[in-house]
Amino acid sequence: MSGRLDRIGLLAVPALGFLAVIYALPLAMLLAKSVQGPEGFSLAEYRAFFADEYNIRVLMRTLRVAALTTVLAFVIAYPTAFAMSRAKGIWLTVFLVALVLPMSLGVVVKAFAWSILFRANGVLNSVLMGIGLTERPVRMLFTETALIVGAANVFLPFMVLPIYSVIRQLDSRLPEAAASLGASPWFRFTRVTLPLSLPGVVAGSAFVFSMAVSMYVIPSLIVGERQQNLSMLIARSFLFLRNEALGSTLAAILLAIAIVVVLGSGWLAARLGARR
Amino acid sequence: MTGMTPQAPGRHYLDVWGVAKSFRGTRVMSGMNFRMDRGELVSLLGPSGCGKTTLLRIIAGLMEADEGDVVLGGRNITRLPAHRRNISVVFQNYALFPHLSVAENVAFGLRARGTAKAACAQPVEEALSLVRMDAFAGRPVSALSGGQQQRVAVARALVVQPDLLLLDEPFSALDRKLRETMQVELKALLRDRGITAIFVTHDQEEAMGVSDRIAVMNAGKIEQFADPSTLYARPATPFVMDFVGLSTRLSGRVVQDDGARSIVETGCGLLTAPGGFAPGTPVQIGVRPELISPGEGENTISARLRDVMVLGAKTVLHGEAAGSDRVMCELPGIRGGMTRGDELRLGWSVADTLIHEAAA
Repeated sequence: MSGRLDRIGLLAVPALGFLAVIYALPLAMLLAKSVQGPEGFSLAEYRAFFADEYNIRVLMRTLRVAALTTVLAFVIAYPTAFAMSRAKGIWLTVFLVALVLPMSLGVVVKAFAWSILFRANGVLNSVLMGIGLTERPVRMLFTETALIVGAANVFLPFMVLPIYSVIRQLDSRLPEAAASLGASPWFRFTRVTLPLSLPGVVAGSAFVFSMAVSMYVIPSLIVGERQQNLSMLIARSFLFLRNEALGSTLAAILLAIAIVVVLGSGWLAARLGARR
Repeated sequence: MTGMTPQAPGRHYLDVWGVAKSFRGTRVMSGMNFRMDRGELVSLLGPSGCGKTTLLRIIAGLMEADEGDVVLGGRNITRLPAHRRNISVVFQNYALFPHLSVAENVAFGLRARGTAKAACAQPVEEALSLVRMDAFAGRPVSALSGGQQQRVAVARALVVQPDLLLLDEPFSALDRKLRETMQVELKALLRDRGITAIFVTHDQEEAMGVSDRIAVMNAGKIEQFADPSTLYARPATPFVMDFVGLSTRLSGRVVQDDGARSIVETGCGLLTAPGGFAPGTPVQIGVRPELISPGEGENTISARLRDVMVLGAKTVLHGEAAGSDRVMCELPGIRGGMTRGDELRLGWSVADTLIHEAAA
């Protein structure tokens, strides 16, 4: 039996090889540069990065935007996932198409569509001024709020789908049992449904956060150069400053954040799962 | 409520009156009346799709009836949501909360009613020791066997002191031996505590074992509501006769009836049965297998043995006879000397003969 399992395990070899050559190896070479000083191993680049207040601001902004994007995506996704778990037939198809289809549209097209909506003489401002809510156009483009709204929009499916798949598998008799034991709808939700759906929330949040923390195209299009994030800083280091040591240091920091998120969410999911 | 209350209102502890239910335009139940007294153990027995689970869910408040009323202890609870009815349900798969420990599961109903955490400890411990699960209080429910899960589900349902306990196929997930042990245990527990309970089951032996009275349901209607011995000895309809125990069956036609006795012509000749049928009526004759014995009786048929099953406590003979779709005879103990293909005379008394008008 073990021989058989081993042979099935071999099916992972192409994927592992692909990842090793295309992902791990170049990344390792890149990261090695971040600790290479003129005289061998050195953490000077890291010291320099954390000593610069501007860099800290960029780092904090990146984390804040990623966190708020994750929260916004969760707030929109959770009820949606519930509605989907109840939907049947054509409605489920409509939901899934509505979620997946926009992914094929690409961020660039979306960003330009948003600018039509959000710019000073755009649709939203015309409406606001038309109904007299504001006299002058409200600045919406090039703000952090616009960035968070846009990013949450792009990443929404990655929050909805994991939550949906967990909720769909919840035993519908659990809330019924809770009701028959005297639990009000709110008590049922907070003590039964919500805790049991947390593994999906953890997975979705890990997806969205790690994508939002490393996003490059969306902030470039929505807020531009004036509010840099880590990825934009990395790109600038490599493309404009030609400073590979700085770029690889930033990349290492970004990778460290991603690793913390993945391990942390894995640990959380395991903890939540261990109780069932 | 309509003014058509059929019996003195309030006399019954649970009064389900005129309940109707449709799913997607299909009527699955209409004019359902069902009553029981405080402290009674009642079973809803029937094949799947007969409406027994629908009735249970309507009583529990997990489903809304299209028409009719549910009155419990003199209080009309028809419009009350499930969580305000004080009716506990034990589900077929027990529906224990997987993210909570055994003790937290049992405490759930108390917590939902606003009992402080500290005040839950004692009743939870009592409920768990009632079902002999006190040693498992801190375990996660996934570490429990089926029988243990059922015990926890019962403790969880009883700790809130429900006015009514509903059990939906509570034993069906257990293997046969454990099922019988749990039936005895649970019945004693409910009796001792004076709990009013309704079992939903498709297993006639289970229903007869655990309940004072059984409502046999078919196609959204109660065919007969009686104590187990009446159901078995005097089934009101051919459906009840077939569902509650197997019988030898013969179809025939009444040729003569003096009110007390019917003479029925069957493929096995003339048989006598309790009367009250118009001559010419197509009927079905039935006899319980343990009431038939080899040899001549008031009614006698000839049958060819198809199989002899020695089951230890009893020996079951299966045979075939003209005009019959089933011939069964049960003899106590182990019987030898009979083989497949033997011709056999089987007899029984007129009083033990069941007769129903055949379904058209």
